Amino acid sequence: MQLLGPTELSHRILKGDLCTSCGACADLCPYLKSHGGKIASVFSCDRETGRCYAACPKTGVNETVLSEALFSTPWRADPLGHYRKIYMAKQGIKASKGRFQNGGTVSALVIAALEQGVIDKAVLTGSDGIMPRPRIVTTPEQVLECAASKYIAAPTAARLNRAATEGDTNLGMVGTPCQMTGLATLRTNPLARSDFKDPMGIAIGLFCTWALSGEGFLSYLDQQKIDPSAIRSMDIPPPPAENARLTLAEGVKKLPLDEIRKRVLPGCSVCPDMTALWTDLSVGALEENPEWNTLIVRSERGEALVNRAVEAGLLEIRPISQTSVDNLTLAATNKRKRALAAQERLGMLDPAFQNPLEIQPKQTIMGFR
Amino acid sequence: MSLLTRDNPGETHLMMGNEAIVRGALEAGISVAAGYPGTPSSEIIETLAKISDDIYTEWSVNEKVALEVAAAASFAGLRSLAVMKQPGVNVAADFLMHLALSGVRAGMVIVAADDPGALSSVNEGETRLYAKLMEIPMLEPGNFQEARQMTCWAFELSETLHMPVLVRTVTRLSHASGNVTLGKLPKPDRKAFFQFNGDMLDPMEGPIMSPPVGIKHDSQQKKLEQAAQLFEDSPFNTYGGPESPELLIITTSICDLYSKEVVALLNLEDRVGILKIGTTWPLPAQPVLERLARTRNVLFVEEVQPFIEEAVKVLVAGSHLDLSSLTFYGKYSRHIPTAGEMTPERVTAALSTLLQLEPDPVSQDYPPRGTALPPIPPREISFCPGCPHRASFFSINTVLQLDNRQGFTCGDIGCYSMGMLPGGFFTLKTLHSMGSGSGLASGFGKLEKFGMNQPVVAVCGDSTFFHSAMPPLVNAVHNRSSFTLVVLDNSGTAMTGFQPHPGLPVDTKGDQAPPIDIEKVCRAMGATTRTCDPFDLEATQKQLLEFINGDGGVRVLILKQACALSPEKRHTRAFEVTVDPDSCLGEACGCNRICTRVFSCPGLLWDAENNQATINDVLCAGCGVCASVCPQNAIQRKELP
Repeated sequence: MQLLGPTELSHRILKGDLCTSCGACADLCPYLKSHGGKIASVFSCDRETGRCYAACPKTGVNETVLSEALFSTPWRADPLGHYRKIYMAKQGIKASKGRFQNGGTVSALVIAALEQGVIDKAVLTGSDGIMPRPRIVTTPEQVLECAASKYIAAPTAARLNRAATEGDTNLGMVGTPCQMTGLATLRTNPLARSDFKDPMGIAIGLFCTWALSGEGFLSYLDQQKIDPSAIRSMDIPPPPAENARLTLAEGVKKLPLDEIRKRVLPGCSVCPDMTALWTDLSVGALEENPEWNTLIVRSERGEALVNRAVEAGLLEIRPISQTSVDNLTLAATNKRKRALAAQERLGMLDPAFQNPLEIQPKQTIMGFR
Repeated sequence: MSLLTRDNPGETHLMMGNEAIVRGALEAGISVAAGYPGTPSSEIIETLAKISDDIYTEWSVNEKVALEVAAAASFAGLRSLAVMKQPGVNVAADFLMHLALSGVRAGMVIVAADDPGALSSVNEGETRLYAKLMEIPMLEPGNFQEARQMTCWAFELSETLHMPVLVRTVTRLSHASGNVTLGKLPKPDRKAFFQFNGDMLDPMEGPIMSPPVGIKHDSQQKKLEQAAQLFEDSPFNTYGGPESPELLIITTSICDLYSKEVVALLNLEDRVGILKIGTTWPLPAQPVLERLARTRNVLFVEEVQPFIEEAVKVLVAGSHLDLSSLTFYGKYSRHIPTAGEMTPERVTAALSTLLQLEPDPVSQDYPPRGTALPPIPPREISFCPGCPHRASFFSINTVLQLDNRQGFTCGDIGCYSMGMLPGGFFTLKTLHSMGSGSGLASGFGKLEKFGMNQPVVAVCGDSTFFHSAMPPLVNAVHNRSSFTLVVLDNSGTAMTGFQPHPGLPVDTKGDQAPPIDIEKVCRAMGATTRTCDPFDLEATQKQLLEFINGDGGVRVLILKQACALSPEKRHTRAFEVTVDPDSCLGEACGCNRICTRVFSCPGLLWDAENNQATINDVLCAGCGVCASVCPQNAIQRKELP
């Protein structure tokens, strides 16, 4: 896999509408920045190679390298990735109540990591009304403010990049598969920088099938004459549900999922990763029981955190049924298949997709004295 | 005492063309002079303001007002001068059209400075056509002595005809220097009184107005015929060369010098004659026909428009001359380029073709001398070190790109026009006349109903704001347009040499004057306003983002920071700026040299050998902005007392 730079990233991914705004490429340098939920390229950069390109989960993921670097084990193409254990989990009896989507496992893990000094700060995705907003948290109260699923893509990885640039280490990060893949690649120091430090204290991934484009969703709401600032919460139940539920001041409003899916980011269609393969821990819904989560323990330090959280009474875990694992595996396998087909269709598997691009520099007015 | 005010007639001094014009105006005894700064005309008002306390000089808010101020003096019986660069004539044209019709009283001269080749302009406009369009006489000095003489005589002509008279100069006359022999300085009676009680049609005592148009226009054209008569034996039309030349050059203005130079250089004195027309409009028939009758080939040497060429052709068509015996060469035959300024090389090329010469005007040792010089690195035209515009455009560009909706910036006229170039990060996407950035933005800001959701930004300088950005701003507020105007307030008309404008507490002579607060004006118009220091990139970008993401309407951000070359700032540094060699990671940084590759202040250097940025101690103006640009905090600034 060839390491290219901002030119290819900009033309193939950003302008090619493959960007899912994960933010992994942004705030590493003065040129690519996350702003208002999107990635902006400020001034042109002509470097032939860049961390931005390496970090992007859409330019190609080197699973062999990641597997060795993160888990010291060869990549075996398991749809659920490398894992040590899978549990069903929910917050423990000592955990504070919050507005969780399911069992509150992620909040419990982050609070445990902060309280036990595993991490100093955590990078989470909070909300500003309906719009997701990446933020840095240090207290359990702040963690709980960020609870509940966000359905709109957010460049949370950029917030971690910024914190790392500012010198923070020992950071916790909760993110979607694209965000976590980008950050995992950055943890392998792809440009072999001499000043590299791994800022990641614990990486918690979220199961994900797709995310909405903020712009697209807002314009849909506008069409439906729904004021986004009046939305208190939003829930998209798993299939076979046909409607999303928006809680407004005057009651619940249902929106057809078919319409909402039209606002999914096009880049999500090429993402092969459902369970966030490149993390310490991955958490998602447990389809059989909405009160509980599925918890995939991938790394040694992930396992250690789970144990400490359980000991502290912040987390409760139970063995998971084989049926649940089979269902999860099937879902993950299907997402991977669909993604590879989409990649093939869009020419992303073509070797030319990895070739350097030659862009003629912008013409300037010569002879202007 | 300036040599311009020496009352020693007959003395010869080296003078700049613009100084010769000033001397001519002084010898005509002017009392009032008004103008708006613009290269290459600015030195005329500037010099007058400096050297004479008897004269009222004014930097007016724009050229139209300058023309009106000068006209008022003429109406009140005082000789007056209005000065502007060519685009200013466009601004003043509306009033000029009516003034030409109404007529003037005391001598009134308009000096218009054209800039063929657009050396300091964003157009190559021609004033000569205005003489024809406005139906007023025009003189074109061909050298420095004539610049003095013609300017002086233009006032007499104006008084004879009761008409404003145009004197057209060009960059190479205004800004070059030559010998000028002084004339006499008068001691005029400077009593101003406006007579208006006479008969409607009495040019000296009646009201002054353009109607009744039929009668006034008729009389204007009669005056023009009178001018043509006066021009018939004018000493400003000269001929040099053989009695019956093989080829006759007809030329005007500074092109006369190019023609003479080339004819001498190519030893063509006995083959080519040069007819130089000084009284360009209305073209005098006799001196031209007289020369045409003695040649068969005519070459017109003039810049930009084929003005003389067309006038002569019209003249010939209506004359007794046998057209078939004459061949005309010039812009229509493509022997003279139709754009760009005249050069001896262009005259040489035309003559070589027409006379089948093989000229070798370059001396034998020139090429080796040229190649012996060390190579000059290519440089883009850019902002000075410490220029606030660089910081402003850095922020505007950053914010529009962050915003990601393909927002754009409408440019305007000033140093900041360079915002269209790499040095200004290609920020400007439109660039036209003064004030038009705001007018275009006012229009773009109304296109939302047709699906345009791109944020619109306009820029204008502080002087441009007063000159012509105020009406479009009023238009935008009233018509509920939506855009952000960024006033790049660098405390003076910087590009043309720090002439004061109404925003400053001083007038043209440097005396105290009431300043007009740009922000208050905008607020009074109904715009939302803020002021920021462009050197504070973070605050500027935050404010600009807020404006761009706002709920619409007209927002004005004033970025206030004096020009690095302004008299109050010059040679002072706010910060001592250094690069910490341990922090600057060079190519390994990942910043891709944003300091020297993108921000590109000439005070910053890229030391390729040591793979690091450095500060050029001589050029650095100490603004400290580059310290905010460096992502590694390797550029450090220490406040200086």
